[in-house]
Amino acid sequence: MALGVTYATSHTLVRMRMAAFRHALKDQNRLTWIVGGGFVGLVLAAGLIWLAGIGDTDALVVALGVWMLGWVIGPMFAGGGDETLKPEYFSMHPLTPRTLSAGLLTAALAGVAPVISLLALLSLVVVGTQLSIAATLIALPAVVLQLLCFVLASRLAVAVYGVLLQVRSGAVIAALVNAFILAFTAQGWALIVAFVSTDVQGTVAKAARIAPSGWGLVSVEAAGRGDWLEALGALVGLAVVAGLMFAAWSALLVRRTTATRTGSKPRRLLSATSPGGAAGAKELRSWTRDLLYGHRAVFAISYGLFFCLMPLAIGWKSMLPWAGPAAVVMAGAMSANLYGSDGTALWATLMTPGSARPDVRARQRAFLLVFAPSTLLITLLLTWWSGDTGAWPLVLSVLPAILGGAAGLVVACSVYAAVPTTDAHKRSGNPLNSGENEGETMGITYLMLVLVSLTAGPALGAALAWSWWGVPIGVLSGLLAWWYFGLVAARRLDLRGPELLTLLRHGRSAIGEVKRANLDSLPRWRRTLAGFCLGFAAIPLFPQALVPAIFKLTGNNDTKSWFLALYLSAQWQWVVIVVMAAIGVSMYTYGGVTYFRAKPARAD
Amino acid sequence: METPAFELIGLTKLFGTERAVDDLGLTVPKGSFFGMLGPNGAGKTTSLSMAVGLLRPDAGTAKIFGVDVWAEPTSAKALVGVLPDGLGMPERLTGREVLTYLGLLRGLPEDEVKSRTTELLEVLELDHEDDKQVIGYSTGMRKKLGLAVALLHAPRLLVLDEPFEAVDPVSAATIRTILNRFIAGGGSVVMSSHVMALVEQLCDRVAVVAEGKVVATGTVSEVRAGGSLEDAFVSLVGASTRGAEGLAWLSA
Repeated sequence: MALGVTYATSHTLVRMRMAAFRHALKDQNRLTWIVGGGFVGLVLAAGLIWLAGIGDTDALVVALGVWMLGWVIGPMFAGGGDETLKPEYFSMHPLTPRTLSAGLLTAALAGVAPVISLLALLSLVVVGTQLSIAATLIALPAVVLQLLCFVLASRLAVAVYGVLLQVRSGAVIAALVNAFILAFTAQGWALIVAFVSTDVQGTVAKAARIAPSGWGLVSVEAAGRGDWLEALGALVGLAVVAGLMFAAWSALLVRRTTATRTGSKPRRLLSATSPGGAAGAKELRSWTRDLLYGHRAVFAISYGLFFCLMPLAIGWKSMLPWAGPAAVVMAGAMSANLYGSDGTALWATLMTPGSARPDVRARQRAFLLVFAPSTLLITLLLTWWSGDTGAWPLVLSVLPAILGGAAGLVVACSVYAAVPTTDAHKRSGNPLNSGENEGETMGITYLMLVLVSLTAGPALGAALAWSWWGVPIGVLSGLLAWWYFGLVAARRLDLRGPELLTLLRHGRSAIGEVKRANLDSLPRWRRTLAGFCLGFAAIPLFPQALVPAIFKLTGNNDTKSWFLALYLSAQWQWVVIVVMAAIGVSMYTYGGVTYFRAKPARAD
Repeated sequence: METPAFELIGLTKLFGTERAVDDLGLTVPKGSFFGMLGPNGAGKTTSLSMAVGLLRPDAGTAKIFGVDVWAEPTSAKALVGVLPDGLGMPERLTGREVLTYLGLLRGLPEDEVKSRTTELLEVLELDHEDDKQVIGYSTGMRKKLGLAVALLHAPRLLVLDEPFEAVDPVSAATIRTILNRFIAGGGSVVMSSHVMALVEQLCDRVAVVAEGKVVATGTVSEVRAGGSLEDAFVSLVGASTRGAEGLAWLSA
């Protein structure tokens, strides 16, 4: 009976999910993301099968570990994972938590990502065929159990984050973990170099076999050796882990659909006396009371720290002074949707005559209050620690310029390129999920990383040329950017406030006709190409151009890692660096311009 | 002729090819309590949003005491208090903080903001919620806070979208008293509603909106033409016989 209900529920939920998927395929924007992501996934899956084919099981088991890690952290960067079917939808149905979570799990398996993971896991079968028939047979249940573990780990991680983000300390922990992982993707090479050069590869592979992500492979290998106890033990282990994760996830689902969300008890009541003061007080309260804002602040600052501390693993201190500016860049990119995240509350500002300017300026002030003192302190401490006296004029010129630039650009971007999110009081129990526009949010984040970095340009140039004279230029350029972009944003808000509210209230669909005409006029390959460019421009720009350039400038010649330029003879190195930088910047520009062109038409 | 409190002139809004509001015109005389009736999706919220300056019309405009909302938004918005339906609030503030913030933002003096805030919260029975951020408010509490926001700067015209929705009977009686006193003091009110009895009881003038157009307007007695307002409404927007047939399984 119970099994029958579970089957019927699963069947229905899979149909719902497929129906939503079919609709997603009709939406060009989302189709681009699905196709692009699917392509990358297929390439990676092929890589795993290739590793299995050449028999490098050590590399394969590490790759499987990374793959599972991808399942766990992926949702943090994609708006809380797939939320096509929210558990809240079913809270009034007479379903037991187990039945519902089994149904949701089955539905979760019916997607693009699980299919790609299934293909990647066929590498286990490939390993099995090289060993024996028994190993091949063992590989089949191993694949299934391993896939189940991947998907369950992902769902459980989202649920755990959901709980964490409801309390302050949890939000801080989540931010630290996220920042570490993201910094690792950019600077992990340093840690990897450190590992490789100290010959710990074997240890990593050993650790990856101990982690559940490697148990499927362990089982297949054991079967190949004829060690049946270990082969079956690993399989049973996988099943037990899957069962435990399933039970924990069901329990958290119950909590999610029944818990209430009231803010914490406010500690200090608003005590401003002027319009500007009131607007500032309101904005500061968003930063201190809204856990998502707090999460963002901790994330940006710890990202800057991790990003510049990781190269210490190879004894490289020259990045330390740049932790402050790096944190500001990340903070700017994360705060580029201030109006979008406040949602339709904008109406209150719109209905108050003359409030656009105080509101915009207050958001800028709050941004600076949160990030200026902290990044200044980090810059002073870490530059002192690095012992690099030549860095002082550079960072002290760049920091004010970039702080002002970020404070200006966040409001300009928030007004000109707002991305609608679900209103705070209508959100689901998943605090990471704020609407269906992850793709757009991500594109703007990338674009802002570049734009905010560019505001440091004049100050950096001046500091390189005239040393300490860069500082007044940095302060001046920061003030100018803060003043000018704020002015632009306030004017736009005055003139086009109602359009912004309409966008936040009804999303793109209400003004969809104009948009469709505009985006449709672009051929599909252009849209796909633009998405690809935004996603991958960081590779030529940062690790292939900026990092080797800094290496060369600071005279570090011992580390080559995967920096193409450093493998070439001296006269070609700068050529490659410049070409790579040009490729990166052009990719960002092309992607950004394509999206930007399609945008103004629907706002006007 | 005296300048009307509120005038909607040829308002039109297209969503795609659908005409959500189609050349809609209304006049609300000073001192009147004006009810806007209409079935779901008739375009009430859309036309009120356009009329107060929250949604740009494709054609037409609105005037508040003769001031064009779209030509002189700053002076027009100073004259009106608005309660929109289903929009967000500064969620991370408490009710008292929302009123303080918006009052100061309007440029009211600090002590005036403080005394008005305290009084409004007391009257609307929100004064014991100081430990709650707006995100934790119920729908009815949000409505009451929205009404307080609309009243805060003592406007001469109130535009209220579904002010009684989800509000408990005791609070509804309070709101009725407040609105009647507001009218008696020379103010004008426009409110949209589905609830016929309420409109019949409160309003002196009504307009019935269907499919983006005004299908009837006048004093309550003119519109109901001898019958009840509900009958008049049903005959104006078209009666539905659905619900009488089918659904046999419901009583099986």
